[in-house]
Amino acid sequence: MSSSEDRRKQLLQLAAAAVFLAIAVVLVLIVVNTSSSDGGDTELEGVAEVNQDLAGIPQREMVLGDPKAPVELVEFGDLQCPVCKGFSEEVLPPIIENQVKNGEVKLEFRNFTIIGEQSPPAGAAALAAGAQSRGWNYVELFYKNQGAENSGYADDAFLESIAKGAGVKNLAKWNQDRATFLAKVEATTAEAPELGFNGTPSFAIQGPKTDGLEPIGTPSSTGALEEAIEEAS
Amino acid sequence: MSYPSEWALRRVIAFLAALGVGVATYIAVEAAGGDAPRCIAGSTGCATVAKSSYSHVAGVNIAAFGIVGYVLLLASAFFVNDLARFGGFVVALGGFGYSVFLTYIEIFKIEAICQWCVGSAVLMTILFALSATRLIVYAGAENQTTRQPGLRRATG
Repeated sequence: MSSSEDRRKQLLQLAAAAVFLAIAVVLVLIVVNTSSSDGGDTELEGVAEVNQDLAGIPQREMVLGDPKAPVELVEFGDLQCPVCKGFSEEVLPPIIENQVKNGEVKLEFRNFTIIGEQSPPAGAAALAAGAQSRGWNYVELFYKNQGAENSGYADDAFLESIAKGAGVKNLAKWNQDRATFLAKVEATTAEAPELGFNGTPSFAIQGPKTDGLEPIGTPSSTGALEEAIEEAS
Repeated sequence: MSYPSEWALRRVIAFLAALGVGVATYIAVEAAGGDAPRCIAGSTGCATVAKSSYSHVAGVNIAAFGIVGYVLLLASAFFVNDLARFGGFVVALGGFGYSVFLTYIEIFKIEAICQWCVGSAVLMTILFALSATRLIVYAGAENQTTRQPGLRRATG
């Protein structure tokens, strides 16, 4: 057999082995992702931490901070969105700790539900908590306990456990309000694309130096948000 | 059965790989700017997929891996030797396998379809078929440096 034929035979054997390996890897990836934990446990984490962080800050509906604060920062988010969770845990805390607590900025959460069918009910549940001045506790606690998107974890039992953890006092009223707030979730979800947003989280800002509510997209860091706040002030 | 010449296969591979570089670069650039690629007809599928945890591996956007893969495939089309044939096949196999996995994830886990990802998956599938044909038909062939429109093992 010529060396060229030898090389050809070896290459084709290697290629066949690579194909078998690739099939095995893809199957393993699929099986692992199908059976992996989808999170969203009803035994909540971070209840005390969230409630302590937000203690003493005024809340009305979904607005966190002094209602008279000159600058309003609006977050368009989806409670199932992992990037929003990252923002909630890494980017926003310094803003809440400084600019919101000292009355310079008020933060508003508006639903922009794009992840899946459990997103609108989850958003409405947050608004219903907001009706009892626990909206931001609800949002922050949801993010802390967020599961894999669209894995089905955000069911009624999960939403109710978040409400309890967030300190919603009248659960019967919260339950009733949830259905009525779905229309508001739809309205803010329709509003976001009008501001040019196509992903979450997206932010808009309004202050003495802005022309109404101005979109600022997804700031890359706390510093970028602080810069936008300064420009709007 | 007749097969296309290796020269023709290389040209089509180069063209499709260049298209793939464009698609993956668009997705990567949009993601780097904090945005998501724009879906046609106002669908939010692209944003949903781009913001999902599956859009990154080890903190790197998968579109960046896509760019690397397509560039390697493009490079494989410029050389006429067994390393290029086999290397191109392995890269296309990896890309195709990962595309199968991502399509499964889009349909069954994220429940959203990103048209750009589907476009890339289709490109990878065709590139895999072409690279496999190139390897099966031309592996072991003498290195060629000029256009060879003639067929090898073209009968049967």
